[in-house]
Amino acid sequence: MNISPKNTLLVRVADLVKFFENVKNDFDIFIPYTSNSDNDNLFYKKFRENLDFVPNKFRTIDPIKTLFYFTSEKILPISNKKRKRIIFGVKNCDIQALKVLDSALLEDNFVEPNYKMWREKSYIISSDCTDILPSCHCNLFDINPYPTKDSDKDAIFDLNFSPIDDKFLITIGSKKGEELVELLKKYCSVSNASAKDNDKLESQYAEIRKKLTDNNSEYSSNRKYEVIAKGDSEKKWKEISEECVECGACTNICPTCYCIIVNDESENGKFKKVRTWDSCQLNGYAKVAGGASPREKLWERFRNRYQCKFILMNQNFSKLGCTGCGRCISTCSAEIDKREVIQSFQEV
Amino acid sequence: MDNPYEVLKADVLNVIEESPQIKTFQLKLEKPLEFQTGQFVELSLPGIGEAPFTPSSSHYQDPTKMDVTIMNAGFVTNKLHQVKAGDILGIRGPYGKGYPLDKFKGKDILLLGGGVGLAPLRCLLLTLIHDIDDYKSITLCFGARTPQDLIYKDQFADWRKINKIQLSRSVDEIPKGEKWDEKVGVVTVLLDDIKIDTKDAVAVACGPPIMMKFGTYALIDKGFKEENIYLSMEKKMYCGFGQCRHCVMGKYYACKDGPVFTYDTIKNEEKIWE
Repeated sequence: MNISPKNTLLVRVADLVKFFENVKNDFDIFIPYTSNSDNDNLFYKKFRENLDFVPNKFRTIDPIKTLFYFTSEKILPISNKKRKRIIFGVKNCDIQALKVLDSALLEDNFVEPNYKMWREKSYIISSDCTDILPSCHCNLFDINPYPTKDSDKDAIFDLNFSPIDDKFLITIGSKKGEELVELLKKYCSVSNASAKDNDKLESQYAEIRKKLTDNNSEYSSNRKYEVIAKGDSEKKWKEISEECVECGACTNICPTCYCIIVNDESENGKFKKVRTWDSCQLNGYAKVAGGASPREKLWERFRNRYQCKFILMNQNFSKLGCTGCGRCISTCSAEIDKREVIQSFQEV
Repeated sequence: MDNPYEVLKADVLNVIEESPQIKTFQLKLEKPLEFQTGQFVELSLPGIGEAPFTPSSSHYQDPTKMDVTIMNAGFVTNKLHQVKAGDILGIRGPYGKGYPLDKFKGKDILLLGGGVGLAPLRCLLLTLIHDIDDYKSITLCFGARTPQDLIYKDQFADWRKINKIQLSRSVDEIPKGEKWDEKVGVVTVLLDDIKIDTKDAVAVACGPPIMMKFGTYALIDKGFKEENIYLSMEKKMYCGFGQCRHCVMGKYYACKDGPVFTYDTIKNEEKIWE
């Protein structure tokens, strides 16, 4: 099969469940579900037949990195016993975040061994957003709420599913995606999509884009980021960060934050290293043994997240470290809204 | 695929007490670990932790042997100071970039060091001495808080014997009962007496942050060009190769882009001295 950017195939939602049931012994299948204790948010959980499968309309609350770059993970020695997995319902904010993580962890002289393995073992089925959360703002970064295949190279997603009525319209994103389609065909009837289906998709695209534009109408999309690091902005950052309680939730929940500490857990003559997420918001993050620390004050640490996302990552990877998923906004106990912070610097 | 976290076993052959706060650990590695002077390694104390250090032995030494000089300054180094000959450590690396020795050739070279900052400078110095014909001269300006805080005490005499080497030392203060007949004052006072043409010379500085800062200003005052001042930066590091992000200084990583930077490269980044 040729890889084509055109959407050509259709599969019924009900059939997809059959597919998951049939391949669940060969793959770990992760699907966004609501939780009994939290009906507002979606969480990745392993596929279970007794849980209702409802295609997720928007992003999960847990960022995609939790499935590729665990909170804590052994990095020495490496375990090769990793099962293949299918991750369903990944939204474009997370797809774009994986691009940032790939730049940071795969594309230099040193390759993160676990991350690489999880990337290889995972089949990513992304899907279009059909609704948004109040914190969603990918449009401010020129990111669409639906992944598309824009070049001949393999996309980050292997397959993308666009919901149309009771069916999904399939875009193949990679060679792994081609494999997955073959597997899909074994268990589901896959038909060709019509021009009408594609038209319907276009109108859905327009509709969801409009929702996002309306949601973020108070924020300008052509924002300048260098202004956030201006030397004379100390007073302003102090004011903005006044309510911050330094919990570090914004960085933990961010799909592009990948800071870690490394612990030595060697025992019985065997070397063992474990890495665990860290947060630049916490005091002590950059403190050296002699006591020197480049960011002693809360406002400096608070500002660092913005500098890192909007200036430094852009210098390092030629992409912004924010994809507009809005998780840091929905999780902040001080109700600090990143969109407002950036906007306030545009209006000076 | 290579795991960048792969650790080699390092037997501690000997521990030398250099000063009340500083020890040199002589290691025997299970496999050769080649490095270029200026690069660093991560040394781990099994079950306790690990920290980055620049070797203090020459890169021309047998690659299964390495000296690491460590100050008791924090949690891991405190535990490392309890290590004895016969104990086992882990080592991984090398990471970072070495000194661009090609650019040093034919030039007057000045090493400005304070306290445990002499450790990476000794690695460089031993390498320079090995190829001494390639360099015009070597000026050493070394300082410490008090005479007993100076490290490598028994090696200065040998270095002074080398024709092309000029060595001067200073201490900040002389506590009662200690003897000292060289300069007194912060290490930059030694720069007043240097006898090289600084416009084309190379300076390499390593020491505590405050010394690095005022040392750099003093070197510029003396006529060194910003692009010829090499600074060995100390930042928090975990991974050593640009993935833990702790050592970020603006767009640079102290680990993979450094740990040595010329002053003109980093002077516009924020808070480089802290």
